Amino acid sequence: MDLPYPIADGPDALINYLVVAAILFACGVFALISRRNAVGILIGVELILNAAALNFIAFSRFGHHTQNGAHLDGQVFTLFIIVLAAAEAAVALALVLAVYQAHRTIALDSVNVMKS
Amino acid sequence: MSISALVFWLIAGGTVGTAVFAVIARNILHAAFSLCGTFLGVAALYVFLHADFVAAVQVIVYVGGILVLIMFAIMFSSNMVEQTAERRRGWMALAAGGLTAFATLQIALLINRHLSTPLALQNVHGGQPYVPTASVAPGQTSIGHLLMGQYLLPFEFMSILLLAVLIGAVVIVRKEIR
Repeated sequence: MDLPYPIADGPDALINYLVVAAILFACGVFALISRRNAVGILIGVELILNAAALNFIAFSRFGHHTQNGAHLDGQVFTLFIIVLAAAEAAVALALVLAVYQAHRTIALDSVNVMKS
Repeated sequence: MSISALVFWLIAGGTVGTAVFAVIARNILHAAFSLCGTFLGVAALYVFLHADFVAAVQVIVYVGGILVLIMFAIMFSSNMVEQTAERRRGWMALAAGGLTAFATLQIALLINRHLSTPLALQNVHGGQPYVPTASVAPGQTSIGHLLMGQYLLPFEFMSILLLAVLIGAVVIVRKEIR
């Protein structure tokens, strides 16, 4: 199998990264809808954030280039996404532990009372 | 097929495979371990895209921080009977996932096509075919200049957000003392 361009870093390589990011996004949505476990839903959110970050990096890499190098705005935004993901994971897991202390379960179908 | 293409397909396949296993695994702890492979694969894709610093941050924060937090929460609230419980709304979730993948890909390509000068898929730079070169990776120095210059306000907002999250997480999980 001989390909006319380098898959990883050629002029037409952008589509490969977009496909990988789209599949990651789909996996995240699937986990969001189908999981009953709160931590499983959090795993889905992390997958979605990773897909968005991968898209940012890919468009930053294949975007316009100035005289002295690439535009790095996409990489900066990915750093912000990683910080947001860390903050979101910390708060979400604190909520999971609080729910577990109150209800002795983290299956979100079972947590259906406002005041226990 | 060149070596770099082979490595790229191996890494992309590993990333996608571990992500799929992370969402279909019945045991949530297996899903968390599989998620480790996904994070490392995405970091390797960042290296392919000449984003070395972001790849290092990805490994440190995701694998070293978030994954450890997730495993801590799983083992703290472990209830093995419940972890293997029935999945809900399986077919609807599958359809929604497939539709989302298709839609995001189409939207990304549509935006790319309707930019004033499309990225990489057509000729840019005055008709010359665009070929990324190895010399366009200025590295963390330029990122630092951007963070301290153009993106200083979002950067400071991030620090305030992290402080608020630190306090908020402690307040949420603390024991009530009266």
